[in-house]
Amino acid sequence: MFKELDPILHSQLRLAVMSLLIGVKEADFTFIREKTNATAGNLSVQVQKLKEAGYIDVVKQFKDNYPQTTCKITPKGIEAFEAYVQALQQYLKMGA
Amino acid sequence: MQEEKKLTEQESLALIASMISKAKNSYIESGIGPLSWGILITFCSLFAYFEYLLKWSINFDIWLLSLFALVPQIYYSWRSKKQRGFTAHEEIIMDYVWSTFAICMFLLSFYNNMVHPSHSIALTLILFGIPTFITGGIRNFKPMVIGGIICWLCSLGSLFVKSPNSLLLMALSSIAAWLVPGIILRRRYLKLKHV
Repeated sequence: MFKELDPILHSQLRLAVMSLLIGVKEADFTFIREKTNATAGNLSVQVQKLKEAGYIDVVKQFKDNYPQTTCKITPKGIEAFEAYVQALQQYLKMGA
Repeated sequence: MQEEKKLTEQESLALIASMISKAKNSYIESGIGPLSWGILITFCSLFAYFEYLLKWSINFDIWLLSLFALVPQIYYSWRSKKQRGFTAHEEIIMDYVWSTFAICMFLLSFYNNMVHPSHSIALTLILFGIPTFITGGIRNFKPMVIGGIICWLCSLGSLFVKSPNSLLLMALSSIAAWLVPGIILRRRYLKLKHV
């Protein structure tokens, strides 16, 4: 029986954000935008969806009079990401 | 990047690999830290050696320079973290390892001043080797692993040489642990920066 791919993660930009965050402890919104080549509007919407799913924590604060948004993957997000990769591997094994 | 584009399994795996690699490659050590410490400790060791050898004094403890050098180093580290836009997982470990080293060095300088042990440099070199070896291991950077081992070998060696000559072993340790790795990291950083 194949696991269904998590619909929250099975989208290009959300998966890119999660893959980026899995490799670091935390990252600024600007850093994520640069690395994903996404527009700020697009990224905001997808970050919000990941946050609502409980996959990432988003902290908004002011630093040197500028707003700063920091994102960090949660334990639930790590679990979902690992399950997603396992499911992908199962699909690929079947296709091979 | 499109917001809701559905991916095939192969595309998903390729995207994951590419983003993990982007995150990994974003962290490039500038080499400023080890380079400046390498220069400073080598200079202080050689200065103290010649001061002792030539029986000449400037009426200033040259090792105090290492305390003054801490301020720009902490500032530079804080500024580069801020500019980078992310915190790497191993940075937390590194911060604890090097803070432990700084505290132990501080305590050891008190111990040396109060107890005046005959082989104080041997103890100092044991401490030099610990954070260097760990950093090299965690960052998978062989020159620092070798540097750490050289510090420990010099620590053993300092037990068999007379007092001023052990300062030369300290200079050698500093060159091996920080100066050479610092030069390698700096050259790598400048090369990657210009690509």
